[in-house]
Amino acid sequence: MKLNKETKEELINLLEKKNIGLEGNILKIIDTSDDSDFAKYVENCKEKDKETRKKRLEITKQVQEKNKELLEVNAENQRIMSELQLTFKEVEDAKITFEVQNRELIAWKQDNERISLELQQEMAKSELARIGAEEAKTMAINDLDVLQKKTQTELIGNIVKIALGVIISIGVITTFMYILALVINKDTQMIGSTWSNMLGILLTNAFSIIGTIMGVKYSGKDKEG
Amino acid sequence: MIDTLMLVDDEDLFHLVFEDACSLLDISLSLKSLNSSDEAAKLFQKWLQGDFSDRPECVFVDLNIIGSSFDGIELIRKINFEYGNNVVIGIISSSNEPEEQAKAVQAGAQFWIIKSDDIEPRLEEFKKDYEGYKTRTAPFKVYR
Repeated sequence: MKLNKETKEELINLLEKKNIGLEGNILKIIDTSDDSDFAKYVENCKEKDKETRKKRLEITKQVQEKNKELLEVNAENQRIMSELQLTFKEVEDAKITFEVQNRELIAWKQDNERISLELQQEMAKSELARIGAEEAKTMAINDLDVLQKKTQTELIGNIVKIALGVIISIGVITTFMYILALVINKDTQMIGSTWSNMLGILLTNAFSIIGTIMGVKYSGKDKEG
Repeated sequence: MIDTLMLVDDEDLFHLVFEDACSLLDISLSLKSLNSSDEAAKLFQKWLQGDFSDRPECVFVDLNIIGSSFDGIELIRKINFEYGNNVVIGIISSSNEPEEQAKAVQAGAQFWIIKSDDIEPRLEEFKKDYEGYKTRTAPFKVYR
């Protein structure tokens, strides 16, 4: 690419007065072979452009590096975030499990309390039944005792009746035989003494029997008292 | 010096780095920077129809271009085998996977430049090898 003389001078002046020069790849295609001043100008611009590009390249590389680091930090943050979310989900799941277990425990506790209450009620019933049984037993023992005593009394009564019957019968028979002996004038000495002896013995035995029976009867009453 | 260079990369900051590095190393006169492989494919389709006025001599393609329909290797394959442009083309990526490099070779990539903070030495080396790529005599090379 070739530039005319006026343009070249304008460009050189612009650089000298306002420090504005050509830059970029256009400098690489400008033909400077026939103008040493302009060649110097282009070289000067190329140097400046090189310096600028070097600086920009360094800064861009630094920005690129920072950007890379930021991306890595961002990726790390996202990883931590997803781990946190995962942990949070696990905690939530654990909480739900805990709540379910808690509900089950409460239900189990309520069941236990209900069973315990039922057990207490059953125990109370059982205690009542035991007391009833005890009372029934006592009543049965009392009834048995009464029955035994009644039987005893009846037996004693029967014995007394029989004994009195025997005594009275023997007394009547002996008396009849003594009266018959007196009527038919037979010897009454023997029968008379026998009669009196017999009557005495019978009366004695009768009173002895009655005394014994009465003693047994009152002895039983004392034990009850 | 390369007349026109094309860079296809989703990272805007790298466009600036690449432009300054190429200018400082006198690699190219002009640089066309694109953000997506779809955009690049459209341009190559246009050039396929006969309008070569702003066609680049050399294309640098990023491996993973976020926001594009296909990756850098697929773009290279399309340019080489569908659009038929005889440009010098290769990958510029931070990846150094041999498997990916093998795929790139199959797609017709001529070089693989590993992107890093210090890109200038690799570009300088590439500049020396450029004539070989232009004449298709230089083998595939990875610039580490």
